[in-house]
Amino acid sequence: MQNEETKPVPPATGRRFHSSLIGRWAVFVALALIALAVRLPLLGERPMHTDEAVNGYIAGELLAGESFHYDPQDRHGPVLYLLAKPVARLCGTRDFAALTETQLRLTPVIVGGVTVLLFGAGVEIFGFIPCLIAALLFVVAPLPVYYSRYFIHETLFVAATLGLMLSGWRALKGNSVRAAAVAGLCAALLLGCKETSVIHFFALAVAVAAAFLVKPREKLPSFNVLVVALGVFIVTGVLLFTSFGQNWRALSDLCRAVSHLAARASGEGHQKPFSYYFALLDPTSIFFPVAGVGVYAAVYDAGAGVRKTGLVLVIYALAIFLIYSAIPYKTPWLALNLWLPLVLLCGLGIEGIWARLKGVKGRWIAAIAAAVPLAVAAQQTKALAFERPASEKNPLAYAHTVEDLLRLPPRLEQLAKEENLAQPLIAVVAADPWPLPWYLRKFPRVGFWQPDQDPGAADFYITSPGAAERLGDKLKDRRPEFFGARPEVVIILWPPKETTP
Amino acid sequence: MNKFSVSLAVFAMLTADAAQADDLVPLRTELPKPVFIGTPVPFKVSNLEPPLKGKRPDFMVPAGITNLALNKTVTSSTPDPITGTLDLVTDGDKAGDEGSFVEVGPGKQWVQIDLGKEADIFAILVWHYHSQERVYFDVVAQVSDDAAFIKDVTTIFNNDAANELGLGPGKDLDYIETYQGKLIDTKGVKGRYVRFYSKGNTTNKLNHYIEVEVWGKPAA
Repeated sequence: MQNEETKPVPPATGRRFHSSLIGRWAVFVALALIALAVRLPLLGERPMHTDEAVNGYIAGELLAGESFHYDPQDRHGPVLYLLAKPVARLCGTRDFAALTETQLRLTPVIVGGVTVLLFGAGVEIFGFIPCLIAALLFVVAPLPVYYSRYFIHETLFVAATLGLMLSGWRALKGNSVRAAAVAGLCAALLLGCKETSVIHFFALAVAVAAAFLVKPREKLPSFNVLVVALGVFIVTGVLLFTSFGQNWRALSDLCRAVSHLAARASGEGHQKPFSYYFALLDPTSIFFPVAGVGVYAAVYDAGAGVRKTGLVLVIYALAIFLIYSAIPYKTPWLALNLWLPLVLLCGLGIEGIWARLKGVKGRWIAAIAAAVPLAVAAQQTKALAFERPASEKNPLAYAHTVEDLLRLPPRLEQLAKEENLAQPLIAVVAADPWPLPWYLRKFPRVGFWQPDQDPGAADFYITSPGAAERLGDKLKDRRPEFFGARPEVVIILWPPKETTP
Repeated sequence: MNKFSVSLAVFAMLTADAAQADDLVPLRTELPKPVFIGTPVPFKVSNLEPPLKGKRPDFMVPAGITNLALNKTVTSSTPDPITGTLDLVTDGDKAGDEGSFVEVGPGKQWVQIDLGKEADIFAILVWHYHSQERVYFDVVAQVSDDAAFIKDVTTIFNNDAANELGLGPGKDLDYIETYQGKLIDTKGVKGRYVRFYSKGNTTNKLNHYIEVEVWGKPAA
């Protein structure tokens, strides 16, 4: 007989919610709505990051009726654009020029809300309190809020990861063909977001394999379950990358992406130290201690035979943290992939405190353990996502387009009006012109040239400082006007000679 | 005036000019370590201020002049800077690192140096920020004996072409900040106070000053 100290503590919390599906879903639907309310204000205010501008351009191509062509160099899969297309259409937009920041960012905002909802589907696997805490931290914390308002792939990627975790575990534990199909779909969506999904497939496989080795041994899933999951994954993946059978070359391109990804992993100017994500995820050192309690609770519960999913989560988190931290190439949005297991572990930690510390005092400790990270996260979100979203001092605003660039389109319009140019010819000469294609999208006659190319005659030239010299007499007697593009980058507008600012 | 006296006067003027020319020496200041390496292409666009690569061409100044601004009192349009303190503007530290600059702002702001007494000023060097490629907008430099800059104000640099500051439209060119600072030829202007305006930069709406040197000598 076990004494009180070693007696396994079941995930006792949330029984009332388990017994009431409506009650549970009411909570998570309410949280998802709050997540939308947090994410929607001032959605179009922040300047478009270069990556958002590139993604917006591709989404604009799809809106104009073109099919998706996978580019293994640096463009990722089609899922973001395929989801953004109907959202933009619903907003009444039909082409790139008419797109707005808000229309594009609505897609990750909606997916951010769906992610919060998905935690409701994880209650049977992780428990009510862990899912509630994780959902709350997704609702208010800076990383998920900031990047849910950012037209890049990460929010979708994390939603697909969570979907894969939940459906995959259901398929394995319950031998469910239906869950296997959903898991295959989620895995395909994951790959269709970003090729780095292979890292997550590996980490999840390691975690699940470890769980199957820990006693009591799990029954292996049936052959049908594996075939259905794999079949749905392959069919969906092929359909996505080939643009529903229109571009079969994408499959060979996808294989070639591996070498490019390997090269990029070495850094390519984005090298950061091993500890980068730890500092970014938890600058106030609040989340990791709580997650540490979650690790203890998960290992303890698995050892006691109460619940094994916590252990799977711990192994997955460990693998994903180590892999992402070991890869020299690091960007802040990649930290969102680590935020998912971190908040679930925080939830397990708070549940562990709640379950083990009985009495009023214990409940207060658990409540404080939950409230403090939430309050800190909300405060950080206010500052980082709303007060200074594009500031170079904001660790989430990475190589971000500066607000000064927002002056460029109205200045061009003003100068064109002064010069009586209904459709000015604009030549952009720069080695890396992004995000200018986004900001010049409403001007129908814009061309982009590399510094060693001759753009010919134009009403306006926009150049990088380095490209200006090569244009020689074309810029003679034009008075340059400087604009910031990114914290390290300025561009120069060269209005026609006659114009006085 | 007879022929002799005219000749004497011309001779005196010529010898005076020659003596003055003999006294001119290159301005020597200690440059900080470059933090930001700019575009590697040398600029030859006639109407664009070239970012300095390598040594700046010698700028000739009268022998014996000193940096009159060193450790002098600095005031500002905003008495409480966002980052740093106003004394950083004249502390002799021109490094581009954090801790070397004062951040004032946002929008139209000025900083002002009190040289202590009227001086003949021959050159000014100003470093706004040089750890990244950046242009400060509406840079205006003025000299006056009036601390309020209401009367007897001489504008020695102005690239506010659109007159956004309301100090009059300027003809000088915008320029990219470098570790060598911006050299302003002040042509021996007299004054006790030197004031610098700016209105944000290409990265943000704030105004920064790492160091200002005012090269001259006390007025006779």
